[in-house]
Amino acid sequence: MDKRLVPLLPLVTKPARYTNSEVNAQHKEWTEDRVTMALAFPDIYDVGMAHLGFKILYALINSRPDALAERVYAPWVDMQQLMIERGIPLTALESGRDVADFDLVGFTLQHELSYTNILKMLDLAGIPRRTQDRREGDPLVLAGGPCAFNVEPLADFFDFVVLGEGEEVIQEILDVVKAAKQSRTPRQETLRELARLKGVYVPSFYRPVYDSGRFQGLEPLYPDLPARIEKRVARDLGSLPFPEEFVVPYTEVIHDRVMVEILRGCTRGCRFCQAGMIYRPVRERDPEQLKEQVAKLVSSTGYDEISLSSLSSGDYTQIRSLVKDLIAAYRGCGVTVSLPSLRLDSFAVELADEIQKARKTGLTFAPEAGTQRLRDVINKNVTDQDLKEVVQAAFQAGWHRIKLYFMIGLPTETEADLDGIAELAHKVLAWGREFRTSRKRPEVTVSMASFVPKPHTPFQWRGQDSLETLRAKQEYLRERLRHPGIQFSFHEVEHSFLEAAFARGDRRLGAVLERAVDLGCQFDSWGDELRFDRWLQAFREAGLDPVDYAQRSLDPEEALPWDHLSPGVDKKFLVREWELAQQAIPTPDCRWDRCTLCGVCFNLQVANRLTEVGSGD
Amino acid sequence: MTSTIRFQFTKGQEVRFLSHLDLVRAMERAIRRAGLPMAYSEGFSPRPIMSYSFALPVGVMSEAEYADFRLVEDWDPAYFMEQFNKHLPPGLRVLHAERLPEGTPALMSEINAALWRIRLPQAEQVAVEKRWQELQAVDSFVVERQTKQGSRSVNLRPLLFGVPRIAREGEAVEVHCLAAVGNQGNLRVEELGLLLGFDSAQALITRIGQFKKVGSAYYPPLGNRGCTWTE
Repeated sequence: MDKRLVPLLPLVTKPARYTNSEVNAQHKEWTEDRVTMALAFPDIYDVGMAHLGFKILYALINSRPDALAERVYAPWVDMQQLMIERGIPLTALESGRDVADFDLVGFTLQHELSYTNILKMLDLAGIPRRTQDRREGDPLVLAGGPCAFNVEPLADFFDFVVLGEGEEVIQEILDVVKAAKQSRTPRQETLRELARLKGVYVPSFYRPVYDSGRFQGLEPLYPDLPARIEKRVARDLGSLPFPEEFVVPYTEVIHDRVMVEILRGCTRGCRFCQAGMIYRPVRERDPEQLKEQVAKLVSSTGYDEISLSSLSSGDYTQIRSLVKDLIAAYRGCGVTVSLPSLRLDSFAVELADEIQKARKTGLTFAPEAGTQRLRDVINKNVTDQDLKEVVQAAFQAGWHRIKLYFMIGLPTETEADLDGIAELAHKVLAWGREFRTSRKRPEVTVSMASFVPKPHTPFQWRGQDSLETLRAKQEYLRERLRHPGIQFSFHEVEHSFLEAAFARGDRRLGAVLERAVDLGCQFDSWGDELRFDRWLQAFREAGLDPVDYAQRSLDPEEALPWDHLSPGVDKKFLVREWELAQQAIPTPDCRWDRCTLCGVCFNLQVANRLTEVGSGD
Repeated sequence: MTSTIRFQFTKGQEVRFLSHLDLVRAMERAIRRAGLPMAYSEGFSPRPIMSYSFALPVGVMSEAEYADFRLVEDWDPAYFMEQFNKHLPPGLRVLHAERLPEGTPALMSEINAALWRIRLPQAEQVAVEKRWQELQAVDSFVVERQTKQGSRSVNLRPLLFGVPRIAREGEAVEVHCLAAVGNQGNLRVEELGLLLGFDSAQALITRIGQFKKVGSAYYPPLGNRGCTWTE
């Protein structure tokens, strides 16, 4: 760590965020021939340490003799103030070196409300915000992650952007940057070189065209640039390296456990879900390989929990035998198994029962919508009957607390759908009274988010409900949910509104973002940190209307700011899905049914890859 | 064949900002990495059976922390120390370990005194000595102590047993203090600062001993159980 921070540590909350020296942290020497990369997470340590993507990249880069990677997190407000007062720039955890000294500074874009933190971190690091202001010797600032699929609001701040999976392309990037470093190639030429890599997008090489305030498209500045940048995707997860060690934090962080990725991608096809579109196709990891990874990680970290992570873990072909084997292998030493993303079906209850044999805390289900009709619209293929069976099974198996996730403001939603949410909550409570085997009183927790239209989804064209409408819907539900045994919460509408504006934003939003940061906005996803009035001021001063970005329903014919950033899914598939949604016609999962012609397999030369059902099942 | 091993360990510079909870968690993970044959508690979420001496304040270092680990096998203490040290994070080091005879009282019930080493970067030796002389002449030094229940008056003076050393160490002044620790009376480091007139946030504080105080004799919980200090 940076020695200059030592005297500040007694003055800040959770000083262990800044102290480093964790088990398995890599301290590689800074030699001339090594490419140095800072993995910058735009939130505090406690959040960033949970990110599996950076764990993978950290191990991968540090395994190269000619490269090193270090971690950087946003300091919390108290530490930022002290750093600014004493003129201490943002430094990396491992070496304590200035972030500005790295060859590459890579940010991950996990959600829109982290964007201000990125600019704040660049400010603290003393790196010019805008790519046009950076000089030779400044780091190349890059980004990846899900929001890279519409990186346009951040286009002015990143020298280059990576679309899709990082494991392979990072090697190519390091090779290019290493060669450039050795031959002292100028920045612009290095970027030209990087733009030749598949999946790499250099925003400054493209010029947006507007006509009377409407986005018309992007023009490449050089003839050899692709009009569309296609994401990187691995055919087989088994061939990708996976870390054998994780850095083990001292202070409490979220998801502090062994994580292995059992599958990547999801083809369920929920029409609001961006992850379901951008991570296709489905690729499962071999169970034997997973067990090996778990064994190595448990012994190198000493964690007491193993989490099988994916977008929908119950879909893993051999989930039952894998869970059984892991539980049997680690029961003796107090290590437990968890499945964070279980889809709602009776099989999920069996699995959860297997895992939580002793401690039946709570089960979470996400019906997302209150009526069968609306679930068909969003393609959440769960029936009322499924719901009833699964909830009853859960109460019978001994659970007493059920958590339900819903979205409000979904396309085609009517009052009946809101009533459906309330009715479902009451029904679950009634089933609890009837079927519970636990001595504890049944409880239902209802958590409701507002629909946010996301790029590359069938719902990308649909504007978000107005703030007033969303508030009215919340009020409507509040009255119908107030009941003993039912707890409920809503996401704040201002958060969802800003998320929508930036999710569907174009390059002009860069100015808004800069202004917002100057006005003191940061940590916007932290409940009490969001300064909504300042955000509105920032939009006003930039002469842009957030309502237009968030709430306008777009024409499927018009050019979208993210059309050139391709996850491999064809736009015509999204249009088709959007039309089917309006007729409430579901589309089945291509894993078990016919091909939906989404285009991913054809465009990217990949295919769903499921493991064989094992004999142990 | 279960056995209990008591050991003394350090909490060094690298890990001084860990809370007690962080420390216990780091220990549990090191236990698993080292493959120590711990005895686990019964119940829904089995935990290794272990107990520690009184929690150190965040930011304070130690050369004399103690813990008792219950094992399901009878390990040689030297082997235990060697294996565990291979897997402990930097700053945490086992210094001594020994088999604990059945029926030995728990650390928490035995320990009632601590020896603190305080390095004061901005202090004059004479000033500290004068302060200590003044303190010795009084038997009462009452402050308001904030607790979860509210605030109450506490007489700090009887909680400070002695100041066996005040010496110049390079640029700083080094002070050794013997003070009460534990449930029967506890002097916090910031209160030690109030008594001796320093800011505990600016001082470099290390716990260098923990004892069972009987009259004016001090017995460490490990090793040579003979008296190591007398006032």
